[in-house]
Amino acid sequence: MTHWFPAEPWPWWMGGLVIGALVPLLYYFLNTALGVSTGFGNFAKLLFPKTTLSWLNSKSFSSVVNHRFYMMMGMLIGAFIAGRVMGLPVVTIEMGVFSETLQWPIWGNVLWFLMGGFLLGLGARIAGGCTSGHSIHGLANFQLSSLVATICFLIFGAVTVFAIRVFLMGGV
Amino acid sequence: MRKNLSFLGFGMLFGYALSRVRASDYNYIYHMFTGTDFTLALVMASAIIVGAIGMRILAMNQYKGFRGQIIEVNVKKLTKYTAVGGMIFGIGWGMSGACPGTLLAQIGEGKIMGIVTLFGAVLGTYAYALLKNRYENI
Repeated sequence: MTHWFPAEPWPWWMGGLVIGALVPLLYYFLNTALGVSTGFGNFAKLLFPKTTLSWLNSKSFSSVVNHRFYMMMGMLIGAFIAGRVMGLPVVTIEMGVFSETLQWPIWGNVLWFLMGGFLLGLGARIAGGCTSGHSIHGLANFQLSSLVATICFLIFGAVTVFAIRVFLMGGV
Repeated sequence: MRKNLSFLGFGMLFGYALSRVRASDYNYIYHMFTGTDFTLALVMASAIIVGAIGMRILAMNQYKGFRGQIIEVNVKKLTKYTAVGGMIFGIGWGMSGACPGTLLAQIGEGKIMGIVTLFGAVLGTYAYALLKNRYENI
């Protein structure tokens, strides 16, 4: 027997197969569109339970522990298992080439990722979905808004990473 | 409750897949955007094709779910804000090296910065609720 631990990453087609299959499977079994970012509204409601903002008091968030909450918890558990299967560190503050190259103090990293996350959350809601809701689910259903959103995601993601390389990492 | 447990199960599969294909690894996103490694682009492209084929099969089955219930496909409307939101999201994606799904996978794996990104995303979502109060159609 060859040693199988820690397991190698999946090849790209395996990931595409499983993630793509979730779109029809979620519709078939639960009549639900694949998507993640709306669930962050649940956490916003948890953070500000007494909010009077109408959007956070809409029907989608009448209960914080709803199906989106369960889905997000499942994702945490699934990734926890995958991390152990692949032998990743159980706790780390590293973020790949970003933290390796820049060697910023911890508060610098915290501010950076807080800002990045803020733009993710805000942008996803204004665009009406994220990479899973628009780029996977929406494009699999040939929706024009998803094509527009995905093109913007990719162009601005690439421009941002280019700017990081030139201005922060010194053009490597 | 059974429904919620099904969501938990599908969520586990999603999180497991994202992590196993390294979508939650900062370097893979970084290298996709620098054009040096297209693994994640291939994951996305193949997922879209598999999803489209699956939706085609559901269409051939008259959009009937497993208990015969009619499946309602979620249509996301194109508005004048779609592109603006997409640009904001793209910058966040490039900065954090994560999207809403993969940041959850990062946290599950044990990446502390994923928690920071999530906290930011929740604040961003709250900021949207604030904007929505003023600009109805955003």
